[in-house]
Amino acid sequence: MTYGITKRIGSIKFSCLSPEEIRKMSAIKVITPDTYNDEGYPYPGGLMDPHMGVIEPGIRCKTCGCKVDECPGHFGHIELALPVIHVGFIKDIKMLLESTCCKCGRLMLSPEQIKERMDSMEKMEELGGGTIEKKLFTKDTAKDASGKAVCPYCGETQIKIKLDKPTTFREVEDNHKLTPKEVRERLERIPDEDLRALGIDPETCRPEWMVLTVLAVPPVSVRPSITLEAGDKSEDDLTHKLVDVLRINQRLRENRDAGAPQLIVEDLWELLQYHVTTYFDNQTSGIPPARHRSGRPLKTLEQRLKGKEGRFRSNLSGKRVNFSARTVISPDPLLSINDVGVPTFAARELTVPLRVNQYNIEKVREIVRRGPMADKLDFPYVPGANYVIRADGRKIRVTERNAQEVAEGLDIGYTVERQLIDGDVVLFNRQPSLHRMSMMAHRVKVMEGKTFRFNLCVCPPYNADFDGDEMNLHVLQSDEARAEARIIMQVQENILSPRYGGPIIGAIHDHITGAYFLTHNDPHFNKEEAANIMFKLADIEMPEPLIDDKGEEYWTGKQLFSTVLPSDFNTSFKANICQNCKGECKKDKCEYDAYVKIRDGKLLCGTIDVKAIGNSKGKILDRIARDYGATRAAQFINQVTRLALGALMNHGFSTGISDEDIPKEASLQINNNTQECIDKVTELVDSYRAGTLQQMPGRSLRETLEVSVMQVLGQARDDAGKIAGKYLGMDNPAVIMAKAGARGSMLNLSQMAGCVGQQAVRGERLSRGYWGRTLSHFEKGDLGAYAKGFCSNSYKSGLTPTEFFFHAMGGREGLVDTAVRTSRSGYMQRRLVSALEDLKLTSDGTVRNTVGTVVQFKYGEDGVDPAKTVRGKAIDLDDLFFEVFGEAAEDFVHDNDKDVGSDYGALEKDEMEYVEEEGDGEDMDDLDIDYDGGE
Amino acid sequence: MAKKDTMNALSKRGISEETSTLLLTKYNTLGEISHAAEEDLVALGMTEDEAKSVLEKIGPKKATSSARTKKKVEAEETVVVPMEEVTNFYQYNETELKLKGYMEEEKIELPMKVVVDIAARIEGHDVSEEQCRKLLRRASEMYQNHKMDQNESAGVMAAHSIGEPGTQMNMRTFHYAGVANINVTQGLPRLIEIVDARRIPSTPSMDIPLEGIAAQDENVARLVASNIEITSILDVATIETDITNMTLIVKPIIRKMEEKHIELDELVDRLNKVKAVRGLVKLSGYDIVIQSDEPSYKKLQAMYDAVKTAKIKGIDGITRAVLSHTEGYWKIVTEGSNLKEVLGVEGVDAPNVMTNSILEVADVLGIEAARNSIIHEAMGTLGEAGLDVDIRHIMLVADLMTNDGYVKAIGRHGVSGKKSSVLARAAFEITAAHLLHAAMVGEVDHLEGVTENIIVGQPVTLGTGAVNLIYTPKTKGDKQ
Repeated sequence: MTYGITKRIGSIKFSCLSPEEIRKMSAIKVITPDTYNDEGYPYPGGLMDPHMGVIEPGIRCKTCGCKVDECPGHFGHIELALPVIHVGFIKDIKMLLESTCCKCGRLMLSPEQIKERMDSMEKMEELGGGTIEKKLFTKDTAKDASGKAVCPYCGETQIKIKLDKPTTFREVEDNHKLTPKEVRERLERIPDEDLRALGIDPETCRPEWMVLTVLAVPPVSVRPSITLEAGDKSEDDLTHKLVDVLRINQRLRENRDAGAPQLIVEDLWELLQYHVTTYFDNQTSGIPPARHRSGRPLKTLEQRLKGKEGRFRSNLSGKRVNFSARTVISPDPLLSINDVGVPTFAARELTVPLRVNQYNIEKVREIVRRGPMADKLDFPYVPGANYVIRADGRKIRVTERNAQEVAEGLDIGYTVERQLIDGDVVLFNRQPSLHRMSMMAHRVKVMEGKTFRFNLCVCPPYNADFDGDEMNLHVLQSDEARAEARIIMQVQENILSPRYGGPIIGAIHDHITGAYFLTHNDPHFNKEEAANIMFKLADIEMPEPLIDDKGEEYWTGKQLFSTVLPSDFNTSFKANICQNCKGECKKDKCEYDAYVKIRDGKLLCGTIDVKAIGNSKGKILDRIARDYGATRAAQFINQVTRLALGALMNHGFSTGISDEDIPKEASLQINNNTQECIDKVTELVDSYRAGTLQQMPGRSLRETLEVSVMQVLGQARDDAGKIAGKYLGMDNPAVIMAKAGARGSMLNLSQMAGCVGQQAVRGERLSRGYWGRTLSHFEKGDLGAYAKGFCSNSYKSGLTPTEFFFHAMGGREGLVDTAVRTSRSGYMQRRLVSALEDLKLTSDGTVRNTVGTVVQFKYGEDGVDPAKTVRGKAIDLDDLFFEVFGEAAEDFVHDNDKDVGSDYGALEKDEMEYVEEEGDGEDMDDLDIDYDGGE
Repeated sequence: MAKKDTMNALSKRGISEETSTLLLTKYNTLGEISHAAEEDLVALGMTEDEAKSVLEKIGPKKATSSARTKKKVEAEETVVVPMEEVTNFYQYNETELKLKGYMEEEKIELPMKVVVDIAARIEGHDVSEEQCRKLLRRASEMYQNHKMDQNESAGVMAAHSIGEPGTQMNMRTFHYAGVANINVTQGLPRLIEIVDARRIPSTPSMDIPLEGIAAQDENVARLVASNIEITSILDVATIETDITNMTLIVKPIIRKMEEKHIELDELVDRLNKVKAVRGLVKLSGYDIVIQSDEPSYKKLQAMYDAVKTAKIKGIDGITRAVLSHTEGYWKIVTEGSNLKEVLGVEGVDAPNVMTNSILEVADVLGIEAARNSIIHEAMGTLGEAGLDVDIRHIMLVADLMTNDGYVKAIGRHGVSGKKSSVLARAAFEITAAHLLHAAMVGEVDHLEGVTENIIVGQPVTLGTGAVNLIYTPKTKGDKQ
């Protein structure tokens, strides 16, 4: 390991290779269009010549004398019999030919114009203009210079040139084909000075180099041949292509030297051009791609670079790493949110480097002495060592057998790769990594079993569930990385989401139900119950008990909840179960116990539910995370969830199909109501048929009908839901979950108990299928409720066959939707990231890109971190006033402005269209549509 | 309307109202006036001196416009009167000014938004000076704590914050926007559209509040709407082709004519202006007869087509204008958008007109307005989907898109394609083209951005990578 100042690459310059350079850097001139001879040895002067590097172990490179992994490979070259054009530059060559004189090669602009152009280019550079601006400018220059009839310098009449795609130039007038040789001659004549005006640096790229006379042959290691099981060798696509080039090149040379007819030479020349073209880019439009024997198009140079599987995106922008693990995840509510349970099997394999010094040598020696212990997967777990790296860089694998010996040989300056132990910092990640919370740092907890385990509260940021999800784990290898990860990436540091100023990690599902049972209407617990609830909270003292009339000790739920709050915590808000009563809020005296008031860390009234501790909505959580710091927030989450689960276990909780049981009279009522609505629809249809339907402004009659029918049927579903809701009281577990915000919504419930409602595709009633009808069960042209996808049954009562089919139609749309959505939004995000990745907040408060251009003078107009905002506002006024005025602060709150935007999500999910949620975005591998190649 | 503008422009140039009214009898725009000869003006009934001074005052514009620009451009340029800069600063009220005064005394720095919010709360309450100061001091403390850290990668944060909820949005293209029954693209497709900076959104739409009596009275509002909605002849009449007489007979439908507030004479006038039938249109009874001037069926067909598509009334591009009643006022919601024209329609509350076509806002109102439009549209789209995204993220995207003075798209034709680094561009899209061009011009990549540094395998220059920690260990000889 190197310490101290690390070297940085300052810059990279791109340039074209001149023929001389290619020859100079070439290790060998390739002449034989063959690879291996019958004995399996490479032909000298062939494409697999060992001068160009080695791919088989044991053999030494003939140029540098190194072995496989040491020799980077060396270029060779092919002398082309006749020059050919490089496809990649075809547009630039055309531009050059058009804008320069065909005889003297000067740029066809007056010297003043050239000067002016050069000056503006210089100015552009001064002002920080990028390549793209210059590219557009030079394009303009070339356009101005081209199309002249006579050269202003030598007076030669110009002949228009046309490009026959992909690589042939033709003079328009006499249809004379320009051979690459002629093109090259013309390009050679262009003086350096004029090239600069066209934005080309003659030092790095003379235009005649764009017409190839010599072809560089990449090293063997770039195109290794693969040995199949049968022993025969399979060559790389590039090698195949090079063989083609060599073969034709040889024939061309022979024919030319033998003085063959012009026609034959030209044909061969064109064939050579084709092979060189496809060697560079096998997807050039206008020519058939070169194919493998099996019919698969060859993957040549450009195909290697571009696209998602190309070199750039899959090998350069994304790299594969060691010290990582992947397995299925499962929940563990007893772990801290900062922990991750790592199976012993993985822990034995993953290592952390430990530098041996005079203080730890004995301890480390002990670890090494234990060896790899690869088979010891049970508890108690003690770490061993897998590798020892000596001071000179040699790596020794520690085995059962040599452990003793290696341990004895340990010295200061050695590095030992120690197996994971509890407390190691690791990165934990789940794909798709859509935001920075998709990769957070956890503390290792080595555990039995085979899965990674973590606290349930951490599911939302990863968007994980436990239906078979797998996650990745990376072990950090340097102190610097560990420190950074611990300080900025640890789970507790990411409780507040930068997307909106609220917690993304918080109590979910059962935690909320538990908190509800603990606090709603302040239940009393006797000593045994209270102890049962509290016993998992190790560092919390039991509060002083209260005494009831019979003289027995008891604890209230609110009292127990208060134990986990910071002692100086104050807040008040409306809970999720708030009924939104009309008129003045009764606050403390709320009959539903829905007004939460906390003073000095004591819960005085109200029910704790999602709005208090839930993820994304939890106000208590939000406050603690912002004002008391990440550590306190993590502690709070750990404690409150354990407490809630304790309460839930004490109470007992279950839900099932019988929760949706509604009394007979209710279902009768629903049926009557639905029937009424359906009759109304029939009436509407009749009036539409009779032409008496009142047309809505700006809508056709048919649209009017559809809109009103949708309205009526929507009303039918809502009414059914309401009736069902009336009979499902707050003692119903499903209702409790919905109202407290744990899971599900009243809409879900009303669909289960009341009526499923209208099915829709593309926001309209179902209409496709048979001719004039959706299914053969209906008459043609039936516009009634049932014929167009209305499901009057509930999920519980069961759908009729036609209803079931309609429901499937609606469901299908949802599935298609998700599939399309993931790829589209993935591509949008890639573009956003690519556009915004370079922006950062500089020390003067401005946001700038890498070049230094100011994008914003003050970030977000106030310089506030969105993660620390209160619902987007720079500071929390409620807090501020409370701190200054105490209880009197409530006088300052105008009822109307208090609740404006007080929710993190303006619309609840259940108020939106009912969408199937499961199976959401599981396939994110195929993130984007690839737009490479097409311009 | 054009005349009104010209009038204003003239008065701005110090030309008396009298003279300008005189000028306007003949000319519509400044350009026309400036091109007119002195004699023409005299002919209008001006004194020679007046005419000269008018030309002098309007004339100079001509000289400034560069000689190289083509004539047409010149004409346009002269029309464009230097726009009056409309600055509508927020007027602080008393309480706010009081707080501001304290702030300056205490040397506290707070965004004015916070101050205004505080002021709104203490308004009408008796709060002592000491308490005010305390409020401000505490607010300042909180504000300082909430400030963003240096070197934070604000960009990536914004991209994630907008991209991540994208997966949760629905793809359903159409959404019935409120009462107006106008289809507007919503959800993910709309968000992509905004980020793409499409020239024309898939469902352009405008929101036109009305002013004065039009906002109160439904009938007046309807009149305004009929002036905005494009009306073709087929909307108000039927056309019959009489082959024997070689005539087109346009039969107006009185009910529809009334609905659209069109008079019969007006219709004839309009039709007479249609190129193919100019001067051939006559009124006969209640019908309008168009007599072909040459006996050719082809001509008749051409005439029919020309008449059929002729615009009678309204503004180009606005296919529907629907009234909507919100908060006691009438407003118009349209399908199709033409901001420039709509702003000039009488009865329209011009400062509050909205369009969802961002590029149009940029063209008509300028780049700052376009930036606000992007923020407004993106926030609206996300809000509609029930997703909460901090406005700061969207601001950053909007600022980046409008940074160069024109609206750039996020993508290979816009921001990403204009990056300074070759490697970053190559890693995004169109890999080979970027590399080849870089080789040709000898481009140098200074490895300042994120992608480039990842490619070469060194720390990026954001966050902790932007700073260095140098630790000099104490050696034995050191004191302390």
